[in-house]
Amino acid sequence: MTTPSTRYAQFKLVLLGESAVGKSSLVHRFVKDSFDEYRESTIGAAFLTQTVNVDENTTVKFEIWDTAGQERYKSLAPMYYRNANCAVVVYDITQAASLDRAKAWVKELQRQANESIVIALAGNKLDLESDREVDTSVAQSYADEAGLLFYETSAKSGENVLELFTGIAKKLPIDAAASRHRPVPKGVDLSKPSPSSGSGACNC
Amino acid sequence: MEEYDVIIYGTDLVQSIVGAALSWQGVSVLHVDKSPYYGGASATLSLTEIKQWVESNNNDPSSPFDDVKLYVSRNIDTSKYSIDLSPRIIFSASDFIDLLRTSRVYRYLTIKPLTMFHTYKDDFFDKLASTKEDIFTDQSITVQTKRALLKFMRFVLNYQSESSLPIWTDFKNRPIAEFLQAKFKIDPIYSNELVYTLGLCPALATPTSVGLHRIKKYLTSMGVFGSFPAMFSLHGGPGEIAQGFCRSGAVGGAVYRLHSDVSSVDPDTQSIVLDDGTNIKYREKLVIPSQQQGSREVRRLVAIVSNDCKPWFGEGESAAVVVFPPGTLEGNETAVQCLIFGAESQQCQSGQAVWYLSTTEKGAKGKKELELALEKLESAILRESTEDFDIEVSEEDVILRNGTPLISSVRLGQSLKDFVPREKLQYLAKLQYVQHETIANPVADNVIPIGSSAFDITYDGIVEQAKKIFSQITGSDDDFFNVDFEDEDEEDIGEVKPLGSTSNSNSNNNSNAEPELTFGDAMEV
Repeated sequence: MTTPSTRYAQFKLVLLGESAVGKSSLVHRFVKDSFDEYRESTIGAAFLTQTVNVDENTTVKFEIWDTAGQERYKSLAPMYYRNANCAVVVYDITQAASLDRAKAWVKELQRQANESIVIALAGNKLDLESDREVDTSVAQSYADEAGLLFYETSAKSGENVLELFTGIAKKLPIDAAASRHRPVPKGVDLSKPSPSSGSGACNC
Repeated sequence: MEEYDVIIYGTDLVQSIVGAALSWQGVSVLHVDKSPYYGGASATLSLTEIKQWVESNNNDPSSPFDDVKLYVSRNIDTSKYSIDLSPRIIFSASDFIDLLRTSRVYRYLTIKPLTMFHTYKDDFFDKLASTKEDIFTDQSITVQTKRALLKFMRFVLNYQSESSLPIWTDFKNRPIAEFLQAKFKIDPIYSNELVYTLGLCPALATPTSVGLHRIKKYLTSMGVFGSFPAMFSLHGGPGEIAQGFCRSGAVGGAVYRLHSDVSSVDPDTQSIVLDDGTNIKYREKLVIPSQQQGSREVRRLVAIVSNDCKPWFGEGESAAVVVFPPGTLEGNETAVQCLIFGAESQQCQSGQAVWYLSTTEKGAKGKKELELALEKLESAILRESTEDFDIEVSEEDVILRNGTPLISSVRLGQSLKDFVPREKLQYLAKLQYVQHETIANPVADNVIPIGSSAFDITYDGIVEQAKKIFSQITGSDDDFFNVDFEDEDEEDIGEVKPLGSTSNSNSNNNSNAEPELTFGDAMEV
């Protein structure tokens, strides 16, 4: 076979966690390498994409879905969870209650999403160490118990953000996804009407 | 007190579109639904949720649904099925497709082609001869009829042009079948196909103005995205698309609150109270679904069957339309329409299909006609699927297309009369209900009531209704999804982020120029 030596796969990643724990900021740091102190909520696009190199030959592209605030009243649609390959459940290390909410979201994911979903727990706002309410060891032992990846991150400084996404990428079934040939035929591309008419209906 | 510019109650498709359109215009929107799911009366629900839906309908006198009956086999996992309460298909050349494109909501959806439109007549199922080639090569059509059909097809593509108007204006409000007979000498057998199968018009007396619009839409839809006229969204239709618009609205800044009922409305103080006691003010308008029922209704029968129904689908496809025109089911006066979805539609499991039958015929007559149609479908698909069934292919069954012989729907073309199935078709679930239309009656200046019909299995009229409500709120529909989206992704595989680097990659705003689709004028009814 004449397959190229590079592996490429695309995965859907969903964000979850209480409002104001920094979900969107994490994504912005990862995708645009920027941080906006006064960001109110959520990114303005349908979803963002970013690629990471897992190793020399392996590229993973994330299609990242933000909650767009629909988590606030538990109003996320089935569409949100569907076909999600991985999830980042975010809490705020300076808010003990946010870890409890994160645990509830993990349960919700296990109920709604694919069984094989890769879940990472991210304790954000590591830059606010002096206000810390959640011990690293507490979150770590919960993550171990629940089978989650665990990182403490700072969207503000960028610490551990790329490591978080790369860590997820390494856990994903890249071979299985890459062998599907990329990109998976997704159906009719509505952004591209076919220029020539496919039938004689219009030129009679 | 919480305050929004506009509060929308109910997340049915039209409300969801309006909510998204407003939020992208910078209007602050609170969107509330009493159900724990999106989509309201056009939701897509799992069978598990359908069970709860049946119960809540029976306990809700204000529900637009009644006569709800459900059977579910004990041997299936009800969470693995998606049922549309009011399924629809999308024509390629339609204002709805334009909306999915301009709103970018198509990015949340997976859209698949739908080619096969079958007509039931005289105990036969025929694949529709809908293109010039089909008509030329169909040996069952006489030369005169061929000429008439082709002449009509040329006419209908430009029926709104000045020179064409005199041909049909006198017939504008008369049944289209009369017009086809009088002006084009097209027999009812063929006009049935044009009107009911291509046009998907439900009623016997479809006026010529509507019929022409719909037939033209089918014909202009061929070839827009490929050689198929229609499409459908995976995982469900309007309910799935409503979720997409609500997500779009949320990204635009709207607030969504499911499972919250409005317990009271006070137009004088412009405020509502939710069932948890929260008091919320609206500065401009409140949009609420009307509960006043009109006289029209649609009766539905949904069946999940243990048969993949592949013989009805086009190659590589997993959906089809079957139409029973008036006069084919022991004297039915309205057409029975049927949408068939296979497992690839993600609505059911492999080896199964979901059948959605509907009619606008009322009462016991409508019920009987749906049951009759179901019987016909059942014996047809059993015959199709019987592998050792003797098929004699005669020369007439073979047509030539581009020099290649094609067997034209042979088994579909054979009479069902003599067929005695050896097996029975297994019904995994069956759901029946009647849905009443609701009529929008004015309540107060700052309250906009919204009615619903759901009689159409296409998305015709949805955009119009959404624009109308949008205009009632903002004063005009000029800014309806008139949005410059920041274009943040797409086709940027070239640039790869190296591990360990935090360099900024590809956040350029390359808005891919999208060619405008314009196909004739909007429907005038």
